[in-house]
Amino acid sequence: MEKQILIGGAAGQGIAKTALLIGKIFTNSGYYVFNYRDYPSLIKGGHNFNILKVSDKPVNSHENFYDMIISLNQDTIDKHREKLNKRGFVLGDKNLKARNLIELDISKVLEETGTPKKFGIDVLIGAFFKILGLPIENVLKVVEEVFKKKTDIIEKLIRRGYTSVEQKIELPEPNEKNKYFMTGNEAISSGAIASSLDIYFAYPITPATPVLHILASKQIENDFMVVQPENEIAIINAALGASYAGAISMVGTSGLGFSLMAEAISLQGISEVPLVLYLGQRTSPANGVPTYTSQGDLKFAVNAGHGEFPRVVVAPGDSKECFYRTIETFYLAYKYRVISIILGDKHVGESNYSFDEFEEPKIKPSNFITTPSEEYKSYSITENGVSPRAVPGENAKVRASSYEHNELGYTTEKEDLIVKMNDKRLRKMDFIKEEINKLKPVSVYGEGKNLIVGWGSTKGAIIDSLKKLENFRFLQISYICPFPTEIVKREIENSNEIILIENNVTGLLGDIIAEQTGKIIEKKILKYNARPLTSEEIVMKVEKVLK
Amino acid sequence: MKIEDLNTGEKITWCPGCTNFGILSGVKQAITNLVNNNKVDLNKIVGVSGVGCYDKIYDYLNLNFFHTLHGRTLPTLFGIKIGNPELTVIGFGGDGATYAEGIAHLVHSCRYNINATFMVFNNQIFSLTTGQATPASEKGLVSPSTPLGIGEKPVNPLALSLINGASFVARSFALDIPHLTKVIEEAITHKGFSFIDILQPCISYHNTTQFLREHVYKLEKVNHNSSNYEDAMKKSLEWDYCYSENSKIPIGIFYKVKKPTYRRQWPQIRTWHRFKRKPDFRKIVEEYKG
Repeated sequence: MEKQILIGGAAGQGIAKTALLIGKIFTNSGYYVFNYRDYPSLIKGGHNFNILKVSDKPVNSHENFYDMIISLNQDTIDKHREKLNKRGFVLGDKNLKARNLIELDISKVLEETGTPKKFGIDVLIGAFFKILGLPIENVLKVVEEVFKKKTDIIEKLIRRGYTSVEQKIELPEPNEKNKYFMTGNEAISSGAIASSLDIYFAYPITPATPVLHILASKQIENDFMVVQPENEIAIINAALGASYAGAISMVGTSGLGFSLMAEAISLQGISEVPLVLYLGQRTSPANGVPTYTSQGDLKFAVNAGHGEFPRVVVAPGDSKECFYRTIETFYLAYKYRVISIILGDKHVGESNYSFDEFEEPKIKPSNFITTPSEEYKSYSITENGVSPRAVPGENAKVRASSYEHNELGYTTEKEDLIVKMNDKRLRKMDFIKEEINKLKPVSVYGEGKNLIVGWGSTKGAIIDSLKKLENFRFLQISYICPFPTEIVKREIENSNEIILIENNVTGLLGDIIAEQTGKIIEKKILKYNARPLTSEEIVMKVEKVLK
Repeated sequence: MKIEDLNTGEKITWCPGCTNFGILSGVKQAITNLVNNNKVDLNKIVGVSGVGCYDKIYDYLNLNFFHTLHGRTLPTLFGIKIGNPELTVIGFGGDGATYAEGIAHLVHSCRYNINATFMVFNNQIFSLTTGQATPASEKGLVSPSTPLGIGEKPVNPLALSLINGASFVARSFALDIPHLTKVIEEAITHKGFSFIDILQPCISYHNTTQFLREHVYKLEKVNHNSSNYEDAMKKSLEWDYCYSENSKIPIGIFYKVKKPTYRRQWPQIRTWHRFKRKPDFRKIVEEYKG
């Protein structure tokens, strides 16, 4: 059984925080929760809302219809009432006007308890969990954990809310206790720390900012460093400098910042100074729709930077995958002296996913730094193209260059050396390809003769849609660079109907598949209104494209 | 060590007679002196250069070296310094790279007071691209890209770095190698951001040799107080980088004070690659358990 809950109000009313708290209370009680966050680009006012899907079975996405609306203002009701199920109801203050309103006299409770207006939301939380029949102890336990300090007032208000309404819904017993509840940005941050990150460089930009905040808050405890230099150009060049000097370095940004970094991405290519880059896509071009989602930068991630050089691009589809893929990007970047790009977006970055377990990562962190001999050559030509990594300050002279160079790193314009160095660099790609074949570059979900092809944050909605679609498998492509050509080709060849699903205007993955496999996918479901797909929408559109 | 130890054997492709040879020789002499006086460890010196004629110094100095992009010497230098604070980092820039393409980085490097040295080969022209104006070119300069003459006055890099917090600000002259050597030595041993603007006539596109020889004078001869900010600022404004007959061009150390460096803010900075960290994966993800 699934329940869909929308909580809405103005920015500054604590909508996102409350949704997170509600999600934590459910996951702590053993339920699965997906939490979608929708907010405009402003600080106070406007309309913010979260949609929570709660179930006793795994859930991977949200829907655009609701069993219940928790409303902090009339605006929320007016905007969403059409999507409220017939038997659904609204929970809110008695002054609100709505069909099936479960009224609370919030002002009276606040007056009687002598608490400020902003605490009204706690009365709603209490009432909400009573309606769903969750024991009050479960609620208060998580509240105490989340707020950490004295929560007497909050507890009192939650109890008042709890006792002021009747239970209306019977939730099924959850299967197990305690799920992980995590956003993609939290998972990327955790993956970076687990990879023994030394320095994170970033400039604030939605939707990558949370990684900057999370890592900054954990730098002292975990002994690493977070820096916010003057702009994205400085950030990536400083990160390359730090990596050259021996620090495991990472940068994070979104489309605009990534554009500014393109020149230095090319520098990475020729200098072979390792780097990990997190690109959280938002709706482009330019400023686009800043706080909303899109998959519009796929080909830019694959192609950014002038010239030809190897790179890794991996696009995780949920938060758990974000964690492991981040660890893989560090491993590949530092072992092969390439740039590894984690390609996320607002949807995967800022949505909370729930799951049962974390398995210990197989990859152990390493900076792959060797002790140089006196004959050390910074760009020695080797069989796999990887020149052993050394850092300055030891016995040998370590050089990194933006110009074409010989093995020692000195500038060259010689024809044969230019060819050799290009071959050396590009050769790394063959070996990286062998590596990613061991890292599950694609995943296939479900069974059937027909195939849905997608990547990144559409994963959750597509997986949830499979329950309602007959005879469909889902091919999720996680590694874009190097591209798992053979597997993708085989999956396409072994399918009847093939549908490409993407959150962009033109079907960018379709172009890459055509380029890499020669297979053209004609049927496409493309959504580009800056909102993520839902499983219900996918089911409807699949039926439509098959007609 | 011998000064020759810094040679690389790479063919030098500056124009014959280029004043950059003077800077190269000053840099080599300064490093040799500092190494021989145990002031710096040769293995721990890292050079950083961007793109312009000056950048070729990358090929002519046998040091650890990062040859980065046009205008990006400073952020790279900053990264190297926080990547391993034990390193002695010496950055090289041109006036085009530093005062046009990368001027934001100069402002912020001064603010951060990174403990590193940065010298600009200021010939007031884009030479490698055959002689276009830079923001350091004098007002009125006619060049292939500015045939009508430049209408603006050039930036004043000394005043700019002073006002933004550099703790060591100097000007030197490529044709006075002993003076330059001494300034570079002082800059490298100074703890904080050391900025040197080196007047470097371009014999091919902007030959100011004669004028500079006639108008340059040494600050040490006029009892300049380099620990006084107001005096430094006043001296930095004495010449506007234009060429009028009564120009007086001070060279030497304008400003040198002790100030906390960027590192002060970051107790956790260390030589990262030697730091054995053992991330505990369970502990990292535990807080996200509902």
